[in-house]
Amino acid sequence: MSDREKKILVVDDEAHIVHVVSLKLTNAGYEVMTAHDGEEALELALQDPPDLIITDLQMPYLSGVELCVQLRENAKTSEIPAIMLTARGYALPQDELAKTNIKSVMSKPFSPRQVLEAADALLGVETEEVAEAA
Amino acid sequence: MSRVGLALFLAAAVLCIALAATGAVTLLEPTLEGLPSSTRMVAHGVAVGLPSAVCLALLVGVGVAQVRRLGERMQACGHNEAPESGLRAPGWLGPVAEAYDDAAHDWADRLGTLNTRLREVEIRHRLSEAERDHAEAILNSLRDAVIVTDGFNELTTANDRAGALLGFDARGAQHQPIDELIDDKRLREMIQEVRSAGVASKQKHVEHTMPSSGATSSSGESAAAFDVTLTCLPDGNDGVGGVVTILRDITREREISQMKSDFVSQASHELRTPLSSINAYVEMLLDAEAQDEASRQEFYQIIKAEADRVSRMIDNMLNISRIEAGIHSVEHTEVDFVAVCRDVVEAVQPQAKAKDIMLSVKSGPLVYTAQADRDMIHQVVMNLVSNGIKYTPEGGRVTVSVENDDTTRSVMVTVADTGLGIPPDALSRIFDKFFRIENYKRVAKGTGLGLNLVKHIVETVHKGTIHVSSEMGMGSRFWFTIPYEAPGSS
Repeated sequence: MSDREKKILVVDDEAHIVHVVSLKLTNAGYEVMTAHDGEEALELALQDPPDLIITDLQMPYLSGVELCVQLRENAKTSEIPAIMLTARGYALPQDELAKTNIKSVMSKPFSPRQVLEAADALLGVETEEVAEAA
Repeated sequence: MSRVGLALFLAAAVLCIALAATGAVTLLEPTLEGLPSSTRMVAHGVAVGLPSAVCLALLVGVGVAQVRRLGERMQACGHNEAPESGLRAPGWLGPVAEAYDDAAHDWADRLGTLNTRLREVEIRHRLSEAERDHAEAILNSLRDAVIVTDGFNELTTANDRAGALLGFDARGAQHQPIDELIDDKRLREMIQEVRSAGVASKQKHVEHTMPSSGATSSSGESAAAFDVTLTCLPDGNDGVGGVVTILRDITREREISQMKSDFVSQASHELRTPLSSINAYVEMLLDAEAQDEASRQEFYQIIKAEADRVSRMIDNMLNISRIEAGIHSVEHTEVDFVAVCRDVVEAVQPQAKAKDIMLSVKSGPLVYTAQADRDMIHQVVMNLVSNGIKYTPEGGRVTVSVENDDTTRSVMVTVADTGLGIPPDALSRIFDKFFRIENYKRVAKGTGLGLNLVKHIVETVHKGTIHVSSEMGMGSRFWFTIPYEAPGSS
């Protein structure tokens, strides 16, 4: 569990999604910060850089991709990996992804279990407990 | 006979002259007695010569007059005034008249044949003109642009649409080189390519984009998409007679196809969001992530609310699609708008109370009823009042007023709130499908379809009108009118 004392920023304009993902991660032992749009997320990340960002794609003010591009361009947050959750039915262009640290793209509806597994994998955390729980 | 007649006539003339001369000599004889013989000879000569000269002069005069008359009749024949019975002429001129008659009848026959042929040619000419006009009218009635070029790449035919599209006078541009008429380089090349490929080549279909009003377009108008069909025409000697080019404007089809694809894409995107919540919370329950009964109850509530949202969205989408496709069933009855508004207000009173919002219905002293679909009008008022409550902060006010609008002969319903207001740049899009004001997404849940459905019900189904005005921070006012008379009645 000690490995999971890492900080994850969860961003989505849908309150229920933020709630359910945060709960899954918190229950697994992570420290979770939340934001409801891209701008708020950028502000939070620059203030207190997390170890991982899980973000929605379509959000007010700043989209998930724009957020990740800006984070990568900033020295303080340039190494933070990201997981993108998207309700879009098609793949994101590779050239857009190349400008970001997005390591995984998951389609909505998504499984909180899989989000946790992806977070564990990116943060180098063993997923045994999750597997047992499943 | 005529020669005999002529001989008799001449013999009679000679006899007359002889008799006259003999008579004159006999009468002069007693008077000449005793005169010298030379004088008597001169007198005898005068006595014989004078009557002979007079007779000859008379004969020649009669002959000349007859020839002149014959000439006049012939001339009259030349003017198609020939008597059916032939040309009348004195006997000695008979052969001339007969020969002329024969020739005249022959000419008349030929002239008749020629006249018949001329009439046939005239009829054919008129028919071909009528056929040409008919074909031109058909070509000009087409919405597609048609350009026909000959083997020398000159314009043979173009319809009005082609002229309007490519910016030339279709009726006055015949035989002009296509390169001078068409500015669009790619189109000229396509015609050239098909001509070069020859008659053995297959019909060619190409999608081509051009400015919507053709070569004359000066402003930056949006481009129009065309399906171009090019066919090579044979010239009858295994050569190329020309090229038929047809340009069909497919811009609208492309737009509709894009709109449909956008709608499907947006609808699936909008449906994925509540489905995500349902899926995630169900999985959390299965994984026993809800640690107590209160959490479990919260999850159940969220799942129920999100399932309701999906259901509302599907209902709205289906209703909008049905109205757009014109397959909605409408039950027109006498609708009391005040009663409908009171029903709606009563139904949403709990939500208003929860936010301490004052809800009220005001109506004029005598509000007319109107022929309308009651359930649909209920839905319209419900959507407007629900929006009012959703976007009005606690302690605010939502007022529904119903009155007659005598200028438009309609019942007018107004829903006004003291809420957040709509940003000016969003006002024009507020009735668009799936449009939601980004900043308000956190304020309240919505499908982005409610106001679109309202607009369809009011305008498409009831031929009414809907309006909105708003001031940021002060509130919004939506009002709609439904005509007293049922749609379609006079």
